[in-house]
Amino acid sequence: MDDIDAMFSDLLGEMDLLTQSLGENTEPPHPSLPSTDKEVNFSIGFTDLNESLNELEDNDLDALMNDLMADLNASEEKLAAEIEGLKPTPKADLPQSAPTAPKGPSPSLPHPTPSLPSPASPESGSSRTVTSPASSATSPLPPPQSSKPSMEEIEAQVKADKIKLALEKLKEAKVKKLVVKVMLNDGSSKTLMVDERQNVREVLENMFEKTHCDCNVNWSLCETNHELQLERLFEDHENMVEPLLAWTRDSENQVLFKEMPEKYEVFKNPQNFYLWKKDRKTLKDMKDKDKEILIKENFCGTSIIVPDLEGVLHLKEDGKKSWKQRLFQLRASGIYYVPKGKTKSSRDLVCFVQFDNVNVYYGQDFKSKYKAPTDFCFVLKHPQIQKESQYIKYLCCDDARTMKLWVTGIRIAKYGAALYENFKASEKKAAVNAMFSNRNSPSSSSQSTPSPTIKAKSPSQANGHAPQPSGGTITQDLGDIPPPPPPPSDHTFSHPPPGSGSSPPPPPPLAAKNSIKLHPKHRQPASRSPASPASLDPLPSPPPPPPTEDSSDAPPDFLPPPPPAANFPPPPPSAACFPPPPPLSSMPLPPPPAALDLPPPPPDPSFLPPPLPPQAFTGAGAPPPPPPPPPTAAPPPLGAGPKLAVRSSGSLKKTPPVPPKRTTPSLQGAGGGGGEGGGDGDFMSELMLAMRKKRGNV
Amino acid sequence: VKLIQSACSCFRMAVWDLSVTVEDLGADAPPVTLSVTSDLHVGGVILKLVQKTREFDWSDHALWWEQKQKWLLRTAWALEKYGIHADARLVFMPQHKPLKLGLPNGKTVQLRASFSSPVFQTVIGICRMLNIRHPEELSLLRPVEEKRKKKDKDITEELYDLTGVPLSSVSRPSMYNGMPAHFVDSAEMEAVYKMLSVTQPPPAPEVVAKQYRPASVVDKAHINGRWLDSSRSLLQQGIQENDRLWLRFKYHAFYDIEPKYDVVRLTQLYEQARWAILLEDIDCTEEEMMLFGALQYHISKVAQSEPQLLASTAAMDDLESALQSLEVKLEGESSSASEMLDNMTAPELNDYLKIFRPKRLTLKGYKLYWVKFQDTSISYFKSKEESFGEPIQQINLKGCEVAPDVNIAANKFLIRLLIPSPEGMNEVYLRCEDEEQYAQWMAACRLASKGKSLADSSYQSEIQSISSFLAMQKTKSGSHGKTPAADESINTHSLVSPRYHKKYKAKQLTPRILDAYQNVSLLTLTDAIMRFLQIWQSLPDFGLAYVVVRFKGSRKDEVLGIAPNKLIRIDLGVGDVVKTWRYNNMKQWNVNWDIKQMAIEFEGNINIAFSCVTAECRIVHEFIGGYIFMSTRNRENSNTLNEELFHKLTGGHEAL
Repeated sequence: MDDIDAMFSDLLGEMDLLTQSLGENTEPPHPSLPSTDKEVNFSIGFTDLNESLNELEDNDLDALMNDLMADLNASEEKLAAEIEGLKPTPKADLPQSAPTAPKGPSPSLPHPTPSLPSPASPESGSSRTVTSPASSATSPLPPPQSSKPSMEEIEAQVKADKIKLALEKLKEAKVKKLVVKVMLNDGSSKTLMVDERQNVREVLENMFEKTHCDCNVNWSLCETNHELQLERLFEDHENMVEPLLAWTRDSENQVLFKEMPEKYEVFKNPQNFYLWKKDRKTLKDMKDKDKEILIKENFCGTSIIVPDLEGVLHLKEDGKKSWKQRLFQLRASGIYYVPKGKTKSSRDLVCFVQFDNVNVYYGQDFKSKYKAPTDFCFVLKHPQIQKESQYIKYLCCDDARTMKLWVTGIRIAKYGAALYENFKASEKKAAVNAMFSNRNSPSSSSQSTPSPTIKAKSPSQANGHAPQPSGGTITQDLGDIPPPPPPPSDHTFSHPPPGSGSSPPPPPPLAAKNSIKLHPKHRQPASRSPASPASLDPLPSPPPPPPTEDSSDAPPDFLPPPPPAANFPPPPPSAACFPPPPPLSSMPLPPPPAALDLPPPPPDPSFLPPPLPPQAFTGAGAPPPPPPPPPTAAPPPLGAGPKLAVRSSGSLKKTPPVPPKRTTPSLQGAGGGGGEGGGDGDFMSELMLAMRKKRGNV
Repeated sequence: VKLIQSACSCFRMAVWDLSVTVEDLGADAPPVTLSVTSDLHVGGVILKLVQKTREFDWSDHALWWEQKQKWLLRTAWALEKYGIHADARLVFMPQHKPLKLGLPNGKTVQLRASFSSPVFQTVIGICRMLNIRHPEELSLLRPVEEKRKKKDKDITEELYDLTGVPLSSVSRPSMYNGMPAHFVDSAEMEAVYKMLSVTQPPPAPEVVAKQYRPASVVDKAHINGRWLDSSRSLLQQGIQENDRLWLRFKYHAFYDIEPKYDVVRLTQLYEQARWAILLEDIDCTEEEMMLFGALQYHISKVAQSEPQLLASTAAMDDLESALQSLEVKLEGESSSASEMLDNMTAPELNDYLKIFRPKRLTLKGYKLYWVKFQDTSISYFKSKEESFGEPIQQINLKGCEVAPDVNIAANKFLIRLLIPSPEGMNEVYLRCEDEEQYAQWMAACRLASKGKSLADSSYQSEIQSISSFLAMQKTKSGSHGKTPAADESINTHSLVSPRYHKKYKAKQLTPRILDAYQNVSLLTLTDAIMRFLQIWQSLPDFGLAYVVVRFKGSRKDEVLGIAPNKLIRIDLGVGDVVKTWRYNNMKQWNVNWDIKQMAIEFEGNINIAFSCVTAECRIVHEFIGGYIFMSTRNRENSNTLNEELFHKLTGGHEAL
């Protein structure tokens, strides 16, 4: 045990050292944003940094900044909490640290809150709470966990907890983050940071906030493979970062954010998949109650039933340009074909592919690329494969409908119950959003707040919590955590200040063409406010530093010391220092959070209000309600610093892309789900009728 | 008026002799003769009878009218009302009699079942005794006569006796430690419960091979002619005391499976599914068969190694606590500090292995390298001495495919890796020297392919399961397959249907099953059973009960498949599904008992009619009605079984 203690303190010491050194570096950051980027990028290939930087719009930068700040804040909080737990230190530290958290939505959100600095106690408090839950969600918070293992001796437990904590932290340091550029339909793009632990659903929610779209269930994130001309929609439960890491350095792949009606089509019109052999009219006239029965039968039983698909498809022969026909059958265990001269009996089937290691992709324009019989092609391949290979299976269908059947069928076989769960979650989200937007519609204009803030707060968002930033490219652990104080009080943070802040150029990482880049978070911090924390905010000073310091942990094991990191100028720590002006208090919290789920009341005057509501939300701790959709985008108005002007314009531009809000569909969907009971009743009464008749007959 | 009437009837009613055979007096005893009048009610007859005979517990007895094959259960009815005259032959006998019941797991229990209530209720009683929930999904059928060769005759099968269970405890069972109290009474009873709740070891291949296997859809149809009628009693259907019947899951719509309460139900369901697969009662592909085989292997192994489960004292409770402790264990393991520490000190494997990369155009073959396995990657070096420098190559195994290629006899321990890269898949073979090395590296490769490192808590168990699987192959090949020697080893032929006995030798089969096994080797017992059931349920032909029918207007026999949610029409010539009708589109269904034809009307004016060839119309009718009944179950009333509705839906007019 002693050893462990010793080790533990060693680790802490090391972390401190690291952070400090990082902090020193920070100063230089502002000037050459691009340069930093380069280093960062490095991780994942990019072709032209500058270009990509230029491509990024101000909004993106701002948003990114916000994300990063949120991360920092969260991580700092967490650290503070951890430390508290570790050392018997008084809680006092925590609170202080909290206030410090100036979030950094700097530019973008010009929060009107001029009053910022006041570390309003209430606010700070609220902000803290917010974060902490978040962090816990993401990663096992250290201290609390102790309760579980009550069986063990307490002492041992305490030690174990400490160790755990330390390890936990170290682990966190390993967390990778990617900066992802997501293309929208209108050609614009959004850039966001994705934590390697985030799933697609979380990223989607992020996008919802950024785009203020209607959140209907069709919204999807897709990846395209430029070289192979493939496209695939990510399932909501999938890890977001993993597939992106498979891209090659020079890849021109993209992530798209768009509506894909086929994503959950099977739950909206199950008959088209499960009764596909029926004639079109029957399918079209299918009663809702029958649809429900179908869903229940196939998705709510002990096992998921895969649509009964069988048919002739064209298969591209290995390495040849020719396509030959084969009779394929879809089963839960894979795709099979009937060998020549054999019957369709199950035992004669030959396995063509099983789904464990492959994903299904839509092929695009295969007629010209591969001389396919039609353009309705799909492909099965291991996600890692990015170039032409004999291990890719190309199939071609006669028409679009057949292709949809197969692709959906394969997804059902591969993902099973998860698909339905995803759908239910999306539907719920859409419904809530619809409700929310309806209610608020009038005030929406005012709501334009900086979406990012919200995000940061909402517990669901990984970014928010992800406490420790880390990594640049391959695992850089660079920074872990700048201790910027806690939370989210982004808004509060006055952005203007940032301007004022030494680091004007928010250097958000830009997404290069590739869109993805790993950035070490630190960098952000650096950019943010190089200004020494202390100087800026008086208040915060005490707390932040200590905790944060540990950030860089360094057990050699994990950290492959990435060279890039070294270069890395931006010292996270600085961020920490960041002024913790918790402006919140100042803000008009019109809608005091009361924690209601309800949408925030229309805040005051146009500008600021919106942001607050969300905060209230999360702050209140109302966990369940999905983060209120951030409606509109118009925020720029406030004038805060000089930058404002620019920014606002930027923001304006962006807004346009916002997808249309369609609330209705989602509502309907939700409604549909509810009706089961009725259906049953119907069925029974019909049954009774039938029985009566029968009896009569007899 | 009443008085007068009764006075009149007394007057009018002549006294006559009713003779009643009392079964308990012995077969040779003469019938007891009672003087009765026609207005005497049945209860009065019984009273007289009891008074005339010795002291005995008659509480379970009732009168059976032999000629009419009918129970006189309404004691308030007068003889007149039943239409009983002096020529009636009545038998006074217990309503519950012993029955030999073949269970889905192949074992036979002897228990007292009701011969007087409708089979539906009889099954409810049986299931209550055996602790199986949702008895409506099960029913009884006449067994297929086994062709017994003479020499087999002496083999008396083991009989698990439950006839001693008091009927009162069946009607209202008290639970003790999660199992019915009557199973706690004695060691024998506990043994019965163990048989019911623990999966059986895989049968010897010869046993499987000897059993009847349906060769065609028509063969499969025959079994369905054997179901008893749920609306009539056993005695009415000619079942005698100590006859043998099968208890099976009939309606394949398994509701609300809850492992905690359904130990016996799950076990028996698994057994039924397993036999359905082994006997090819349901078709599956070769890949699926291998997975079923792997799961069977795993289930039997885990069932044997989880003694708590078998422990007689408190089976159910133990299950729960076993599950819990398992969970705790897993949680502890995955997140404990020590585990994380391990993680940090990243365990690694280092050894000389032979590597071969078939894709490179070289013909060099295997070459010896110093190989290092760390995290999820392998790196290789020319020699140990150079292992501190840059490796010749480093390969991350995450997401790769791992296939075994082992032949113990030939001392071949090969791990085939198919490693994804942007350009495609790269093949790499690792050749190990011996079993031990193989098990370690194989386990590491498998975990790495799932993104787990050597530090993962499952590493050791993975190694173990690989070695035990190898050991199994070894004993087999060692004994040259002469005798299924020890019970410790399992013949892989026991895990697959006889078709594969011919297709593959045991040693060819082992790697294939092993391959499938890697995906299931870490499941808990319950999870493994559930997985088995899920895969079974997702087979395309799952739940189909076949009946040969002749559609109205058609001249040839066709097959009707009755599924939980639909009817399908199968053309015997092609073997293809020609048509599908779903129950939720059904408007009404009728039976014309005279011409034995069933007519069904669906929405959209679709009418079908058919007569049944391999089963009575009644059976088909009950099947369809039964499935509709199953679909009416829901959460709110899951505790009460609406028996009346069941009979309405299944009985046709006949029962009403």
